Amino acid sequence: MNDLTSKQPLSRSTHGAGSMMDNEKLIAESPDLRTTAKIKRETITAVGVFGLTILLIFLSRFVSPALGGWDQVNTVLVLACFLIVVSFGQGIVILIGGLDLSIPALITLSGVLTASWIGVSGDGSWYLFPLIMVICGGIGAVSGIGIVVLNIPPFIMTMATGIIVASSALGFTGGSPRGGASPLLLGLMKGNVMGIPWIILFILFFCVVGVLIQSRTTFGRRLMAIGSNLNAAVLAGIPTGNYIISAYITSAMSAGFAGFMLVGYANGATLRMGDGYLLSSIAAVVVGGSSILGGRGSFVSTIGGTLLLTTLGLVISALGVPQGWKTVIEGCTILFALLLLREDLISFFSRPKSRK
Amino acid sequence: MSNWKKMAAKVGLTSAVAALALSAAVGTASADQKKFKIYLSLSYSGNSWQSEAANVVKALAATPPYDKMVELKEVISGADPQAQIAAYESMIADHADGIVSFPISSTALNRVIKKGCDAGVKFFMYDATVTEPCAYNISYITSGFGENSAQALVNELGGKGKIFLSRGVAGNSVDKRHTDGAMAIFKKYPGIQVVAEYYSNWDDRTTQQETAKALAAHPDVDGIWAQAGEYGAIQALMDKGNKLVPMTGENSNGFRLALANPEFQKRGLKGVSAGSPPAQSGYAFKLMMEVLTGKRDLKPQNIEYPLPWVPADQVKPCSGQSFENGCNVFPEGVVPSSFVTEIFNPTLLPELTLKSALDGKPTPGATIQALAADVVVTAPAEPGINCQKCEAPKDLYKLTKIKATVN
Repeated sequence: MNDLTSKQPLSRSTHGAGSMMDNEKLIAESPDLRTTAKIKRETITAVGVFGLTILLIFLSRFVSPALGGWDQVNTVLVLACFLIVVSFGQGIVILIGGLDLSIPALITLSGVLTASWIGVSGDGSWYLFPLIMVICGGIGAVSGIGIVVLNIPPFIMTMATGIIVASSALGFTGGSPRGGASPLLLGLMKGNVMGIPWIILFILFFCVVGVLIQSRTTFGRRLMAIGSNLNAAVLAGIPTGNYIISAYITSAMSAGFAGFMLVGYANGATLRMGDGYLLSSIAAVVVGGSSILGGRGSFVSTIGGTLLLTTLGLVISALGVPQGWKTVIEGCTILFALLLLREDLISFFSRPKSRK
Repeated sequence: MSNWKKMAAKVGLTSAVAALALSAAVGTASADQKKFKIYLSLSYSGNSWQSEAANVVKALAATPPYDKMVELKEVISGADPQAQIAAYESMIADHADGIVSFPISSTALNRVIKKGCDAGVKFFMYDATVTEPCAYNISYITSGFGENSAQALVNELGGKGKIFLSRGVAGNSVDKRHTDGAMAIFKKYPGIQVVAEYYSNWDDRTTQQETAKALAAHPDVDGIWAQAGEYGAIQALMDKGNKLVPMTGENSNGFRLALANPEFQKRGLKGVSAGSPPAQSGYAFKLMMEVLTGKRDLKPQNIEYPLPWVPADQVKPCSGQSFENGCNVFPEGVVPSSFVTEIFNPTLLPELTLKSALDGKPTPGATIQALAADVVVTAPAEPGINCQKCEAPKDLYKLTKIKATVN
């Protein structure tokens, strides 16, 4: 479908092909003297989000004297690790201008399969972990194929796969998921190495790899190109269909991996374990400064977004106010963060000096 | 069978007659006996409690002689009152004889229930209740889970300490009843300080994460009062370090095993397991069948299910598939830790085994045992929970399971 639509602009653009090449040459040769280039928008967002998080951690000392220390950072990192992994996938899908609503269902499916197939004493069946990942990836591929080949809007397509997957998980378990976490998962979520929890080391590693994939690989850059302008990406010769499908596969596998982690954390699976990771993953990506329309965003800022949201949740739960007010405060703070990271405010800081 | 009937109706009168003749030839007993059309209406499914409660009803409906008398259909409508109203509407339109149901709201369903009652449908609600007076409510809600468990915690803490309240679903009438009962006790003790209160949606994982958050701010907590999801609170404590604290919670297998674990006791875990039993659905179903078959004359009313109450020293693991010799928990690995243990009741539901609760299968060889003539215990009126314009008794939060040992 994309190839069909792309033919028209392609034939039109052949007329101006010569002048375009000249332009490109010109741009490539002239040195970039603008001062804006020194501070990237992404950097400002990332600094802003991380700054807010750190500020919040310091301020939380006033809420409770026990907060504001390494212990709290530790708790935030452990609680945020699921959201970080899920948001990596959601972020990639949002980057190409899509949306993945099947995440909660995939988390649940992966959790239910892990608990029942691998179970408590299942280090001998470690090979089932990759198998479950392949199943999740396959479901992501189905979503992606529906979106690319059948041209179904992403949120309808992923909603449909999500409902099918969630219902299959309900049918598979008959309502009560059996089994528990294998020693491998328990070790990952609860174990320590030299006083540092394994999960924190793991999540740091995951973040580094995630950032590299999204901003340093051809894969990441091409996804961004697709999100900025699909037609331009087609013109540039990117096999857009394959990339879009792989974005959904990535998101599904991230959700599946978060399912493993949740099984290790809660030592078992429930059919509602994925609830609460759909909206919060979208919120983390958007608070992290990514455009919901695609084409812009960095995983560094998304990590900042997840940490900000988790810290906020933690501090608010420590406030001695009724639940209604807690939710109001949470909403207001997210709104405040979004206002603070607004386009015009950022462009104010990164405005070229010459214009002043 | 139901599909069969539908097909026959579609094909036409001749084949319907043929089908009737056929069924008459095959089984004379079932041919002249009208089957009761019973609906099992769940609001949402997705946790162990709901599926166990549904399986108990399915198992009883398949136990002789009810297997020949009952045509049971299950409808899961979701966590939205509107959807359950629509589900009730279609059951009434289908001329149901009875509906055994977990109602999602205590007030939103009233109108459609009244409509059903006028059409001759019997409504039996289990666990959650409705305020419509023409429905039967069978529930433990009025049995005082909140106040009794709160007093147990106060006793363990010697009347002073910092505690967490791990609550259910925000805005839900059941959560409010439990918490009101508990607070009525906690307020009597100035030494008891509620330092954190959070909604855990009766879910293990949510409880674990919310408790972890509260522990970050209050690592010096002395006790936890929890509704369902309590196993998550223990896990959060263990994630944090070695210290465990006295806590009360509901009936998950994991919590009961932890209470009885000598190592956990050494680390500070004490408490009691009480709360909502899935077995209520089976009791509701049996009562309904006795009313429908004319064996029991019972006007619509509020019926109390006794509060399960298992302190740490009374936890007793079961060796087999059933609750024998007063055992009340299954060994690790037999059922998941989120499994709700209170599925059996030797006096009310002797027909059931573990298989009934897990798979909805009847126990081989079992037959339905009649309930005792004087089994019904009337529940006290509680406005907004089981009646509309009524007054709660003055001693609403009186203690029934435990006495205060501290002043």
